[in-house]
Amino acid sequence: MTDVLLLISRSLRNSLRTPAALLPNVAISVFFLFVFNSGLSSVAGLPGFKGSYLAFIIPVSIVSASVGGAGTAGQALIRDIESGYFTKLLLTPTSRLALVWGPMVAGAMLLVGQVILILVLGLALGLKTAAGPAGLILVLLFAFLWGMAFAGYAVFIALKTKNGAAAEAATFAFFPLIFLSTTFVPKEYIGATWLKWAATVNPTTYIYDAMRSLLIDGWEARPLLIGLGVILAFATLTGSLALRQARRATQLG
Amino acid sequence: MERDRRDRSVVTQAITRHFADVRAVDGVDLDIDSGQIFGFLGPNGSGKTTMVKVLTTILAPTAGTARVGGFDVIADQAEVRSRIGVALQEVGLDPLMTAREMLVLQSRLFSADSSASQSRAERLLRTVGLDEIDPKKRVGQFSGGMKRRLDLALALVNDPDILFLDEPTTGLDPVSRMAIWEEVRRLNEDLGMTIFLTTQYLEEADRLADEVAIIDRGKIVAQGVPRALKKEIGNEVVTLTFSSAETAAKAGAVLEKEAQSQQLSGRDLLCYFTAAANRLPGLVRALDEAGIALEGLTLNEPTLDDVFLRATGQRIAPREETR
Repeated sequence: MTDVLLLISRSLRNSLRTPAALLPNVAISVFFLFVFNSGLSSVAGLPGFKGSYLAFIIPVSIVSASVGGAGTAGQALIRDIESGYFTKLLLTPTSRLALVWGPMVAGAMLLVGQVILILVLGLALGLKTAAGPAGLILVLLFAFLWGMAFAGYAVFIALKTKNGAAAEAATFAFFPLIFLSTTFVPKEYIGATWLKWAATVNPTTYIYDAMRSLLIDGWEARPLLIGLGVILAFATLTGSLALRQARRATQLG
Repeated sequence: MERDRRDRSVVTQAITRHFADVRAVDGVDLDIDSGQIFGFLGPNGSGKTTMVKVLTTILAPTAGTARVGGFDVIADQAEVRSRIGVALQEVGLDPLMTAREMLVLQSRLFSADSSASQSRAERLLRTVGLDEIDPKKRVGQFSGGMKRRLDLALALVNDPDILFLDEPTTGLDPVSRMAIWEEVRRLNEDLGMTIFLTTQYLEEADRLADEVAIIDRGKIVAQGVPRALKKEIGNEVVTLTFSSAETAAKAGAVLEKEAQSQQLSGRDLLCYFTAAANRLPGLVRALDEAGIALEGLTLNEPTLDDVFLRATGQRIAPREETR
């Protein structure tokens, strides 16, 4: 456990030492917030649309930020593999789980920092949360867990490919996850059947639903439980893939 | 001394490691006693680094078993790791961290507490002569030599029983090389560490190691105390150089009965003797009578290269082939 904390703090410190790598992520999520909120806010005027468009689009900004957070974790690991420092860590008696969790948790923590920034901006723009401050804390928790899930994927790819360009390319897998969903309009307004179907199978939809329910409807058990279940399932999947790959590192050479 | 009772041996049985269809290490048996300096000598790509990686738990063997410090490298990985120090040929440093941060983190991952890790870091920085650099300087700004010294300090952070050094002097200038030799001897003599050192330099293995194993294409071709290995092939070696490899081969046939044993290497014919000086006139006369022109002649003591040459028909370092 101490080892995990040591490795998390080392990863965080390294990220803060390369602020240039963090800025694009922040910029992208702020971009989502401003551009879509001002450009698409008339969607909120559609009959049957509940709440403000700002509350609707903020989860998109948060989820897109989690892609950046995951990318940070993956890239940091690639850097360690390329510099040979990862081998140094492998040579210590620490558990392989700690080696995988260090960058993952650090990435998710950076994401939480970024989400706090997004929420503060949102509040300044007039965001009202139906579930109140505790709801915002829960939004942060969702963001953290979703960040862990994405970071698990990024760490898995990093360990598998050991190649910066390949890991970068693999993060493109996130784009359909973000956009083939109820990204800009609620499901009932999606016209194309295929997109409706994609939104239904896309786990991100349920993260959007959970966060939106907190911001727009208040405390509703159903979307929150479904959202949490989806996140935990996804995080367990990517986390175990990452761990398995870390354990196999010695077999593969 | 509690330390002296520790098992610091390295014992392997038929260690084999494949990469796809390449047998990088092929059935290697080693038996290294506690407290030895062991030289693992071989040309580039002969399997030295793979062997080090297997023995240090970062690469699983395809077959065979190995015990390091009395523990199995597969079944007891954490035990092995806590007893060994490893400096690989390519340094493994994080350019964003400082030397102290890296030493403290490494020490803590070996379960030392914070204050012990701090003082250990200071002590090791002094040992490798990095204590006077700016503490805020990140490793990315270090020179190549400084990086190598820090890497060695990291390998010593857990006070290892067995230290693995993979080509520690490759690419170093002669002065730095001597400094590393001094340090290796000191660690071995003062702390009783077993040192497993790979090298492609004959002189290094010869001067430093209590015992050597010579590896070629993944297989051990000779193993033993350097002096005994050299003695086996003769006390003195006469190198005769000819205008071509064919001429050298012809000369070999002519001189077949003259030498204790002989070996062809390119344009060179090497003849081994217990005592060579009084045999030289006979050699030259025999060549003269056969009408073979000699281009050069040197008389030396055999080196480990001669041992390798006899075992494999090739020299370890072709670039050392002069004349």
